[in-house]
Amino acid sequence: MSIILDIIVMGLIKGSIYALLAISFSLIFGVARIVNIAHTAFYMVAAYCIYTVTNYMGWSAVPAMFVAVILSVILGMVIYKVFLNPIREHEGAVLIATMAIAMVFQEVMTLFFSGSFLSVPNLIDGYFIIFGVKVFYQQLLTLCAAALVMVILMIFLFKTKLGLALRSTAQDREVANLMGINESKVAMITMGIAIGLAGFAGAIVVPLEILEPHMWATPLVMMMAVVVLGGLGSLKGSFVGAYIMGFTEAMVVFLSPQGAFLKISVALLIMIIVLLIRPEGLFGVYFEEER
Amino acid sequence: MKWLKSNVFVPVLAFVFVMFFWATAFAASDEIRIGVIGPMKFIQGKSQWNGAVMAAEEINAKGGVKVGSKMMKIKLIQADSNEFLSITDATNAMERLITRDKVHFVVGGFRTEAVFAMQDIACQNKVIFIGCGAASDELCNRVAKYYDQYKYFFRGTPFNSTALVKAAFSHVGSTAEVLRNELGITGPIKVAFVAEKAQWADAMVPAVQATLPKMGMELVGVWRPSPVATDVSAELSAIQRSGAQIIFTFFSSSVGIPFARQANELKIPAMQVGINVEAQKAEFWQATRGQGNYVITSSTYARNVECNELTKPFVEAYIKRFGEVPTYTTGTYESIKMSLVDTIEMIGTLDPDKIVATLENRVYKTPPSTIMYVKDNLGRHTHDLKFGPGYATGIASQWQDGEFVGVWPNKWKPAPGVEVTFKGVKPIKIPPWMIKAYKK
Amino acid sequence: MKLILFYLRKLFAVLKNEVLVLPSRVAVIIFFLFILLLPLFTDDLYVLRVFTLASIFAIFAASWDLLSGFTGQLNFGHALFFGVGAYSAALINLHWQLAPWLSIPLGALIGVAAGLIVGIPALRLKGTYLALTTLAFPIIVTGLVFTFPDFTGGELGISGIQKLAPTRIHEYYIISILMLGLCTIMWKITDSNTGIIFHAIREDEIAVRASGVNTTRYKLLAFCLSGFFAGIAGGLYAHFMRIAGPSVLEISLSFMVVIWAMFGGAATIYGPIGAVFFLYPLVEFMHVIQDYRTLMFAFVVLLVLLFMPDGLFRWLREKIETECPRCKVRNIATRDTCRICTAPLD
Repeated sequence: MSIILDIIVMGLIKGSIYALLAISFSLIFGVARIVNIAHTAFYMVAAYCIYTVTNYMGWSAVPAMFVAVILSVILGMVIYKVFLNPIREHEGAVLIATMAIAMVFQEVMTLFFSGSFLSVPNLIDGYFIIFGVKVFYQQLLTLCAAALVMVILMIFLFKTKLGLALRSTAQDREVANLMGINESKVAMITMGIAIGLAGFAGAIVVPLEILEPHMWATPLVMMMAVVVLGGLGSLKGSFVGAYIMGFTEAMVVFLSPQGAFLKISVALLIMIIVLLIRPEGLFGVYFEEER
Repeated sequence: MKWLKSNVFVPVLAFVFVMFFWATAFAASDEIRIGVIGPMKFIQGKSQWNGAVMAAEEINAKGGVKVGSKMMKIKLIQADSNEFLSITDATNAMERLITRDKVHFVVGGFRTEAVFAMQDIACQNKVIFIGCGAASDELCNRVAKYYDQYKYFFRGTPFNSTALVKAAFSHVGSTAEVLRNELGITGPIKVAFVAEKAQWADAMVPAVQATLPKMGMELVGVWRPSPVATDVSAELSAIQRSGAQIIFTFFSSSVGIPFARQANELKIPAMQVGINVEAQKAEFWQATRGQGNYVITSSTYARNVECNELTKPFVEAYIKRFGEVPTYTTGTYESIKMSLVDTIEMIGTLDPDKIVATLENRVYKTPPSTIMYVKDNLGRHTHDLKFGPGYATGIASQWQDGEFVGVWPNKWKPAPGVEVTFKGVKPIKIPPWMIKAYKK
Repeated sequence: MKLILFYLRKLFAVLKNEVLVLPSRVAVIIFFLFILLLPLFTDDLYVLRVFTLASIFAIFAASWDLLSGFTGQLNFGHALFFGVGAYSAALINLHWQLAPWLSIPLGALIGVAAGLIVGIPALRLKGTYLALTTLAFPIIVTGLVFTFPDFTGGELGISGIQKLAPTRIHEYYIISILMLGLCTIMWKITDSNTGIIFHAIREDEIAVRASGVNTTRYKLLAFCLSGFFAGIAGGLYAHFMRIAGPSVLEISLSFMVVIWAMFGGAATIYGPIGAVFFLYPLVEFMHVIQDYRTLMFAFVVLLVLLFMPDGLFRWLREKIETECPRCKVRNIATRDTCRICTAPLD
């Protein structure tokens, strides 16, 4: 019984983090057609930012979170403007530009913080016991925060005018342009929002993780797997895919403790099997221009 | 105009290549050049460098090394192997040290996969390479098997995985003793075995299953998280459900930090004992935000614990110079000062073959232990370290409220009639939540 | 005697009329000469090592280009083929005691098998889906490596592999000549009918299928060919480094090959090779500023892309050569008229 509860709790938490990352990645891909390899690098930047603010400036964790998110949004938009926008027509170039950006972040963090492992304080210390399972308050907080942000994002996308512009650009760039939507401005705003979400994910998850300059690689792989599993550009797909991956990981860890190191491999295998059956992912649609 | 633009590229390219070919080091003949190779962006590599710097400073302050009739200064050359990220970088760095910088000796190396490749290069070029980081037995088995080829490799630190595990069992035994005495636990002590999923730990699973019952303990489960896992709360819940009183840990990678931190945050009523390489570092307290309390790990140094008369002066001098307690990768210190320089002064030559022949038969004291190189059961030299009382044993230390305190060997009985206690060890502390859980 | 003179004269004529007229061809000749004559100028083992490794990675990068550049089957997990080649060659050499000249091709054949295994699911996927799916394969194989440590050595890898050749000069020549040969073969493939079909698949797969070409077969062929060449690179790497460990399957290697190929210019074969021979020694040379090395590398890549998004060598070629608007023959940029049809060049 308690093992099932363990799986549920951990699956929900992992799934929520993946959902935040995957939805924001999907947004960028859908609207700006950029495969942003550096996405989780922004997540890392936010995490390090919190570390700096709490450790060296002595602020508490909540304002640190705001600083981190705002900073990563600014950073994301500047990088988009300087490095990505000029070469957006060249898909391959954008791809390796984002890789290079991720490397730059990784190296800068190594220079400033060296390669050693760091960690940051919890927002709320302690844990509570539910059906004999110990759950950190921080985990619960992560869950709630992720859910809240997703609700806000949905409201933004489906109830506001800017959200409409975003969605229409995602559906058809050229027609959206013809309808008077400033496509490049929308792309930039999307980039800002998406990076903000990635930064937020980094900010809420960082007390549960350890910081090191290569921490972006594993979530990157999982995030991409989630996005592909759910279907590229489909927000619903990213959401569902994230929880599938989260629960898979949790199940591997709990049901076969000796094989816990295989959790990523198993999750990826599931993704490949799903793609063999449904090449466009669970909820994906092929884009017009990709035929 | 078109031509002008592309013309810039040719000189730049040419310049880069010329610089590349030209950058040969100018080697002076009256100095001993020692290469220090390691992941210099990481704490392991920094400690290797620090240890080497201290050795070089001490020797040069005395006027250098007496080789025959002339005095030679020591010159250290740093090479960042970047081995955590790229094995090719590591081998290139090794090759550069040997063929460019023309070093006489190399110390360092950390990631086993990289050390294998670096060992090949050093031995091919007949340069003595003292490994100060990788624990794999296989490194020294190679020396035994292909002695002529690999005799230039010596183990500096740590002692091999088999010995590390032997020591860890003793630590578990001592901790069990303490738990029995303090908490009045009768019957077999329940042990949960948590080892990162890595080859060096794989062989230990059957060993643990076989040995623990003989020591009067019961194995309640085996968990294998990834070496780089960041969330182990799942494993911890399962461990708590198994009723374990000791968590026997085998961590060489980052997983040691979240494991210790989350175990304390969740107040799992069990002692963590074993190998946790992250916990050996001074940064551990910071990295776990004080939640690494009560973790016991095998280690090399702890302040105030003395293995022999050399330990304390070295540890104090190191703390004074670098502001932290040395870790095992500072073994570059004794590798340079005791292993290499003393041997050179004894025989008065830099000839690698002669140094190998002398060094492999020496028995000498170093700050953490007394070193003797063992032969395997066929009588072949392995250049591996002898483990056991009187020789290398290491110590075990516990984090007690921010201090890394030596707790073992404390009345250790390795054989009937032998009892070993190092000067300065303190008793093991049991976490209060564990006392509360067991003392009714 | 006359025959020899005839051939000599023919060679001279070809050299004069076909090679020297185009700077890009001159550059290729210079590159060949540089590779073949390098040991005459330096016997520095370190320099030779760097260029040997560059040769291995050049084969690897070119094999990525053959698959992803030409057919547009974006592969983010190319380290899989490299790693499978390296591990297979190492295991074959260690367990069956086969010499490198046998173990490397056999390893490459296993690379082909890996190509098939990845290729089959990839047939149903396109573009970004494919890229992100292929990323998963090396990670899954890494999982396997760690699951069977008795066979694969786990994180320690497989060591004790036979050396490729007794001395560094031998190794250098074996690897660099292989590199020149294999890359020429790859370039020839892309220039053949098969290559044209590869190219067409990237541009418009449906149109190719509509013209009666079995695109499935060609896509699988591309995967197999690419797997073969990358497998050879992996096998060479294993025998050169004398270790095959999990680092040959890392994501960073998969990313690196994409960076090399895109940086040099995709779908050119010469681009990736040039990029490896430019970037790899450059990064090695930057060890004087070892802390900033990777950072500088990333900045170089970013800046070059910003001004030459189609790749460095493609950009260079565009600058020094122009294509005749009428007969599509390439000309040196300084000419005013086409060298073949004398049409004015703009």
